[in-house]
Amino acid sequence: MLKFIHAADIHLDSPLVKLGAYEGAPTGEIRGATRRAFENLVQTAITEKVAFVLIAGDVYDGDWKDYNTGLYFVSRMGRLREAGIPVFIVAGNHDAASTITKSLRLPDNVRVFPADRPATLRLDGMDVAVHGQSFGTPAVKIDLARSYPAAVPGCFNVGLLHTCATGREGHEPYAPCTLETLREKGYDYWALGHVHRREVLLLDPPVVFAGNIQGRHARETGPKGCVLVSVDAAGRPTPDFRPLDVVRWEAAAVDAAGAENGHDLLDRFRETLSKRLELNPDVLTVLRVTLEGETAAHDEIMSDPERWVNEIRAAVVDEAGEHAWVEKVKLRTQPPPAGGRKPDGAVGELLALVDELVAAPEALSSLAPELADLEKKLPREFREAAESWRPDDAVWLKGLLAEAKPMLVRRLLQGRRDA
Amino acid sequence: MKILSLDLIAFGPFTGTVLDLSAGQEGLHIVYGPNEAGKSSALRALRQLLYGIPERSADDFVHPFSKMRVGGSLQSAGGEVLEVVRRKGRGGTLRSADDKSALDESALERFLKGVEAGLFATMFGIGYDDLVAGGREIVQGGGDLGRLIFAAGSGVANLGAVMEGLQAEADALFRPSGQKQKINEAVGRLKQRRAEFKDAQLPGQEWVRHELALKEAVQAKAGVEAELAAAQRSLSRLQRIQEALPVIAGRRETLKALETVAGAVRLPEEFGERRRDSLTRLRVAQSERNLAAANLAVLGKAVFELEDPSVLLGQAEAIEGVHQDLGSQRKAAKDRIALAARRNTLRTEARQTLRNLREDLALEDAERLRITKPEAVRIQELGAEYERVVTRIDGTREKIPEQERALAVVVARLQAFPKPRLVDDLRRRLAEAEEVLPLEKQMASARSDAKAQLQACGQAQARLGLSATPLQDLSRLPVPSIETQRVFEDRCDGLDRRLASLVEEIRKTEADLAEIGRRLDEARLVREVPSEGDLAAAREARDRGWRLIRRKLLGESLGVGEVGDFTASCPGAGSMIEAFEAGLRRADETADRLRREADRVAAKARLLADQAALRDRLAKLAAELTAAQREKEAAAAEWVGFWQPLSIETRSPREMLQWLSDFKILVEKTVEALEREAEADALEKPTDDCRTSMALCLQALSEPVEAAETLSALVRRARSLIEKEDQIGRQVEELSRERVRLAGELDSARLRLSSLEEDHRRWQGQWEQAVQPLGLGAGTRPAEANAVMEELKSFFDKLREAEVLQQRLEGIDRDAEAFSRKVAMLASAVAPDLAGRSAEESAGELQRRLTAGREAQSRRQALQKQIDQEQAKLRKADGAVAELEGLLKAMCAEAGCKESDELPEAERRSFRRRQLEDRLRQEEERLVHLGSGSTVEDFVKDASAVDPDGIAGEIARLKEEIGRLTAVKSELDQRIGSERTELGRMDGGDKAARIAQDIQAIIGGLERDVEHYARLKIAGRVLALAMERFREKSQGPILRKASGLFNRITCGSFDGLRTDVDPDGNPVLVGVRNGGQETVPVDGMSDGTADQLYLALRLAGLEHHLEANEPMPFVVDDILIKFDNDRAAAALQALAELSKKTQVIFFTHHRHLVELAAKNLSGSSLIEHGLE
Repeated sequence: MLKFIHAADIHLDSPLVKLGAYEGAPTGEIRGATRRAFENLVQTAITEKVAFVLIAGDVYDGDWKDYNTGLYFVSRMGRLREAGIPVFIVAGNHDAASTITKSLRLPDNVRVFPADRPATLRLDGMDVAVHGQSFGTPAVKIDLARSYPAAVPGCFNVGLLHTCATGREGHEPYAPCTLETLREKGYDYWALGHVHRREVLLLDPPVVFAGNIQGRHARETGPKGCVLVSVDAAGRPTPDFRPLDVVRWEAAAVDAAGAENGHDLLDRFRETLSKRLELNPDVLTVLRVTLEGETAAHDEIMSDPERWVNEIRAAVVDEAGEHAWVEKVKLRTQPPPAGGRKPDGAVGELLALVDELVAAPEALSSLAPELADLEKKLPREFREAAESWRPDDAVWLKGLLAEAKPMLVRRLLQGRRDA
Repeated sequence: MKILSLDLIAFGPFTGTVLDLSAGQEGLHIVYGPNEAGKSSALRALRQLLYGIPERSADDFVHPFSKMRVGGSLQSAGGEVLEVVRRKGRGGTLRSADDKSALDESALERFLKGVEAGLFATMFGIGYDDLVAGGREIVQGGGDLGRLIFAAGSGVANLGAVMEGLQAEADALFRPSGQKQKINEAVGRLKQRRAEFKDAQLPGQEWVRHELALKEAVQAKAGVEAELAAAQRSLSRLQRIQEALPVIAGRRETLKALETVAGAVRLPEEFGERRRDSLTRLRVAQSERNLAAANLAVLGKAVFELEDPSVLLGQAEAIEGVHQDLGSQRKAAKDRIALAARRNTLRTEARQTLRNLREDLALEDAERLRITKPEAVRIQELGAEYERVVTRIDGTREKIPEQERALAVVVARLQAFPKPRLVDDLRRRLAEAEEVLPLEKQMASARSDAKAQLQACGQAQARLGLSATPLQDLSRLPVPSIETQRVFEDRCDGLDRRLASLVEEIRKTEADLAEIGRRLDEARLVREVPSEGDLAAAREARDRGWRLIRRKLLGESLGVGEVGDFTASCPGAGSMIEAFEAGLRRADETADRLRREADRVAAKARLLADQAALRDRLAKLAAELTAAQREKEAAAAEWVGFWQPLSIETRSPREMLQWLSDFKILVEKTVEALEREAEADALEKPTDDCRTSMALCLQALSEPVEAAETLSALVRRARSLIEKEDQIGRQVEELSRERVRLAGELDSARLRLSSLEEDHRRWQGQWEQAVQPLGLGAGTRPAEANAVMEELKSFFDKLREAEVLQQRLEGIDRDAEAFSRKVAMLASAVAPDLAGRSAEESAGELQRRLTAGREAQSRRQALQKQIDQEQAKLRKADGAVAELEGLLKAMCAEAGCKESDELPEAERRSFRRRQLEDRLRQEEERLVHLGSGSTVEDFVKDASAVDPDGIAGEIARLKEEIGRLTAVKSELDQRIGSERTELGRMDGGDKAARIAQDIQAIIGGLERDVEHYARLKIAGRVLALAMERFREKSQGPILRKASGLFNRITCGSFDGLRTDVDPDGNPVLVGVRNGGQETVPVDGMSDGTADQLYLALRLAGLEHHLEANEPMPFVVDDILIKFDNDRAAAALQALAELSKKTQVIFFTHHRHLVELAAKNLSGSSLIEHGLE
């Protein structure tokens, strides 16, 4: 029986995106997440005594220039060498763009496929043939798989390919190929990389995207890891997912519909939270919390959003301690449909004005100059990364205004309810 | 909306307090509650009635949360009235007026018109704090028109603070040129981290470069190290040889010298020492012998010359005793002088004291004055008693006038009390009335019950359609009884059941008939079943043929017609025979079928019989149905007949059952209500009687009674009257008791005084007797007598002391005489030469002579000891000289000498030989060492091969070479070290990755702050826009109204208000005075005027609002406390004016404001309420 590991998209040392710290947040736990996940990969290979490890591209992040990352990779490969485990790598688009790969000398157990032509590499002492071709440039638009060599008779044939397959949302359309092309090659297993979401495209032969080993932002949710493939005596491969990630991103949506007040809503969040935590007992869970639905608590929440965001964080610190982190809280609740008529008078005038502005996007743009000063000062990294900074966008302004309205009313009428 | 009543059922300090706010056109309601009366609680209750009691309420100090209730009655502008109760809780807190069921909050919506809690408090409420905050804002805002109009229209007093709060929060987050603001700070941090990130990154080429450099350096270092080792080896060899050359030469010299002392005896090393020591000791012993002999001669002479002191030493003990006594003799002589002086002084003092006491007595006669101990004690006791008696007399004398005064006061208070009224009659009446009192309550409750019940009955009556009938006649209405209804219901039910069963039976019968018809048709369609008739006919046809054939067989001739007929009777037969055969077959077949199909035959017969029976039955059922229907119609007509007289809509008996039972209940209730009414009437008379007699009784006691006062009111008054009279009685009784007590105390004080004076007289007699022995008179005071006794005591003490001293002086003189005798006796025994000297001198000389004698004795003993020692030394020296001379002789023999004088030369030669042998050994050891392993001979040979003159130059050259190579090596070491350090730093560490993660953390935090900042800025902007818009729309009307109100509230101090433009061109509000000639900017107004301006603006804003909207109650909380009386009155008038358009509820703690309102407002617009 033969076992091997198929991993991809390691993106060593690329940071977890936009994890703003707050009081009680387990900042120590998120440091070096991709490295720790990679350690897990190496450890899994050693523990499982696999025959070889396949990396289907993107060991590095394209614009990452720190050579230390390469040295670290070499040191880990050295551990696999000591354990007698060979590694086969095809360079992905990020690796092709990376400056690290140019001068790095890898240990002799690591073999990188050439970029100018497809090649077949044999595993010493075993009937295994690995076929592959690296990316030579960051953008490869042709179907590389088409010219992969024919299967070697009497061997277990593996195709190692960095590809977008038939196209995947959110991923560059590189080295596209069809399942038909892959099947026709007559290989026993196709190890694909590039798409960060784990997916089995075909069962016979298995055509598998391993996904990345560590989620890096709020859209890469759920467990991440590698595929441990077991090949039985008849040469039939069985892929088995192994989680490796140390930080897990989750979307926690809380249905606020019908919640009476903020505390009610908080209780609901706690319920959702404990379910999430049960799902991921061993890793640090990073939550993007969304409160949505029509609720009587809308005004209460929106009149002091900072406070409620802090309440949610406090609940997480309380409940999960070091085991969870709130990446962001999106307050997307709606007020219940308005009963009764709008009040008149000056406050009525204010509410009417807000409604008017919300209804007329062109009028909204008159608010944008308020933010011009800040716009000038915001650093490049922020403008590139931030989702919540679009002062030219009427929808964004509209959302902001809807949030500002209850806050304003609270401030004007504050403390008067029981005076 | 108007609040008709606020019912403080259980809230704050209130239990069942009702504020009736229904009066007035809308009404200016002044609710007065002094401090602690719960004014603030009432104000909260009003708001919480409408909007709910908050989760944390402080109004539970009397009623717990679960019992807290506020009720109220509201009236909408359209006249609709809603009564509700509000309880505290989480849901369903709005309840129906009877607090039994929950109401939906939407029930209130129609009254509140979308005004939520905050807005109600802000726009339709104003408190003192708002007024002050509003006034301050006006001054601080410099009259900004937009702000003022918005504040007037919204009631938001702290608008400026809100705007500044938004700005301040935004500023704390970000400022275009700031550093420390949260966002600025984060951006700065981001830049810094970005730079750090750049530094932390390691470029790939650098690593390759360092690795290559390291490898080269390591190789170079290995080459240099090999060269260095070779050079060091050469250097070491040359240095060894250079060092060995002088040693080799020295060794040669040593070998030559050794040959000269080859024959010398090798004496032990210490031989010379031993010889010199022996000689020295011999000389010492000889000189000791000579010295001891000389000493012995000198000592013998000294002993011979010493004196003999033995006679003196025999009396040593007596001499020493006398010498010791000499000291005490000298001391006694000295003391005697002081003692004599002291004795004389005491005698003089005693004489002086006696002269002071009794001039007539001499010292010797003084003994007569001594008094006994008991006499002295008696005088002291009497002295103490004197103090006691005098003190008590003084105390008693002082107390008597005080007691007289207290008595006078009590008597005066008693006389001041009014004459008590006789209330026994009233008490009796009250007892009677208290029995009747429950009747009055019962009557009231019976009346209200009757009223409520009658009202309910009226509604029920209307529901039953009997409105036309008077209630009391209801029971006489010819309403069918429930029994009748039951009979009819049963009858109708019976008929209905019968009809239904008939219909069902007809349906079933018809269905059965149809089924039979179908089965008959079916049988027919299969095949007609043969009947007995068919068989008979077939047999007849057969027999007819047979008869023809038989006749033919018998030869009879057959008629052609006969045969033809027969043949023709069988269709298809060609001949008679064939016809017969066919007939025979048919008959057989028919018989067979009859046998075979007997069942079918029978069934068909049965079906036919059934069909006939069913048809009969059907006809009968139809007849029954018709009869039943007729019967039902008759019953219905009869039922309707019963109800005719009531002229109400008649329904089925079953439906009318509910009506009947409702009617029955109605009748019962009506009777009950009428009974209650009668009960009330019956109770009225005793109550009235009782009240009248009570009133008469009160009037008799000069208490005015009003006609409207109820019995219970009278009872209360009677109770309080009796209470008051009883209290007066109790006080008079108490004072009388006090008067008796005081008079008694005064009498006893006077008695005590006379008895004390008697005691004093008795004491005087005893005292005279006691002081007589002292020679004192009756007038002497105890203190004087005590002083005389003290003097006497001192006098006798001094006499006694002088006597004691006299005895001691005599003792001293005796001792001196005995000592002189003892000395004279001793001197005559041992030193007769001393005769004639004084005792003291003789005693001293004797002692001196004894000491000298003792010294001579000890000297003789010391000399004898020295003589013994010197004789011992002489003997020891003789022994030593003999031993040493033997020893020297033995040593000469060892060295091969005849005389001890030759010994030193032998020693010198031995020493020289030993010295040379040692040097040779050292030289050879050194050569072995330098030869580094070779033998001495080999090494000497090797060294001689080297040119001694070139060796130094070669060594210098090698040293130089080694120095150069070492420097190169060190340089390489440094290079290797630095390259290793560089590479070590490039250890695959994740510093850059950590910084990248930090940067993401900063961005994450920044995102939140930026969003919050944007929200604040947008909010600020929108608020400014809204203010501007509201100003444009409402400025005219609000300012016009505010101007008039301002004029009014400031009592004409200002003409009004108008807009102006500030130096920056912004529209501002200014006050106008002196007929428009003078404008006053708002920041020039006093605090009070600014408050009044704010009030004017608020009232104007409210009036403006009311023009287009339904009224809402305006709740005012004690705003006038800082207004002077004129302006407060003017403000109250303005509020009264407002109260024509909407209800105004004015809460105050200040009585004077209520009075001010009463004085300045016409009665119709002002309604006062107290909370006490």
